[in-house]
Amino acid sequence: MHAIYEIVSGPMVWLAAIIFILGSLYRLIFMGRLAAKKDPMVFSYLSVYYSLRSIFHWIIPFASVNMRKHPIMTVVAFAFHICLFAVPIFLCAHIILINEAWQVKWWYLPNPIADVMTLIVIGACIFFLGRRLLLREVRYLTTFSDFLILAGVAAPFVTGFWSYHQYPGHETAAILHIISGEIILVMIPFTRLSHMLFFPFLRGYAGSEFGAVRNAVDW
Amino acid sequence: MVVYSEKETGVETKHLLMLPAIGLVILALSVIAAYSQGDIPFVKDSAFENPRRPPVAFYHDEHNEKAGLLECNGCHHVYENGKKLESSASVGMECSQCHLASENNSAIDLIRVYHLQCRGCHLKKNAGPILCGQCHQKNDN
Repeated sequence: MHAIYEIVSGPMVWLAAIIFILGSLYRLIFMGRLAAKKDPMVFSYLSVYYSLRSIFHWIIPFASVNMRKHPIMTVVAFAFHICLFAVPIFLCAHIILINEAWQVKWWYLPNPIADVMTLIVIGACIFFLGRRLLLREVRYLTTFSDFLILAGVAAPFVTGFWSYHQYPGHETAAILHIISGEIILVMIPFTRLSHMLFFPFLRGYAGSEFGAVRNAVDW
Repeated sequence: MVVYSEKETGVETKHLLMLPAIGLVILALSVIAAYSQGDIPFVKDSAFENPRRPPVAFYHDEHNEKAGLLECNGCHHVYENGKKLESSASVGMECSQCHLASENNSAIDLIRVYHLQCRGCHLKKNAGPILCGQCHQKNDN
């Protein structure tokens, strides 16, 4: 247990972080170059104002027509993304570990709230799975890798919940929790999860095209 | 409901009356047994006012015998100007007396030194618990 713990909580964390950062930079630079090649005009009409206007509109729940058309999806998607980021960043146990390593600390969530937020993430993953299986238009676009990605996203939350509540086998769950967190970090740049990286650019592109060129709104 | 007479059941009423008495004796014995297990010693520090995790059970003498710890100041250390005083020990003091002395420090910094002391040594020695739930065990387990 000690040897496995030391590997997964030491060198593997660094490896995952490096792959995540370098992989993300690689994807962003490569995508920028591809855009310059395929649509060189993009950069000339890219506007900071219209980009931010679009980004701002799309991070407000129900601010776009499409979100109003799918209210359940909107609520679940927003709750999911907020919890997905807030729980790992503001979890007391994580901050304790970071403080142990680097003596830095920040505000943290009360454990019962983090617990509920974890369940929201797991519940939302089940919702997304059901959506992929049951809605025809979503199933049409679904490939096997989408299920793997969903499982990958849910895994750190399931194992974290399991470990925190000390259900049988919680030691193994804790190790799997660390490994699954590293896997998801590595997956971000190279799977559909890269929407995390491309989201501001995609909105910037659409926002600028609609605002600066067509004199319209993109929501 | 069918009522059986004493003759039919072979159980005498006065024997039936003994049942609650036996029950009471068993209850009394189990209460005594529960209390006589002895208090489980926990790591305590008065600075932890609202603990977020269950306290850590720690059997001082058994632990030190197993770990081969002979010097008190191996754990109960005293530092002066960043240097450990080999001839001094802080037995009887709470960790928070020194480790929470700085105004910038909060409970999370006290947790830090506890973890570094226990878990740090366990990792170094390749022995003892290292994961959250291995020390902070829930009582109902």
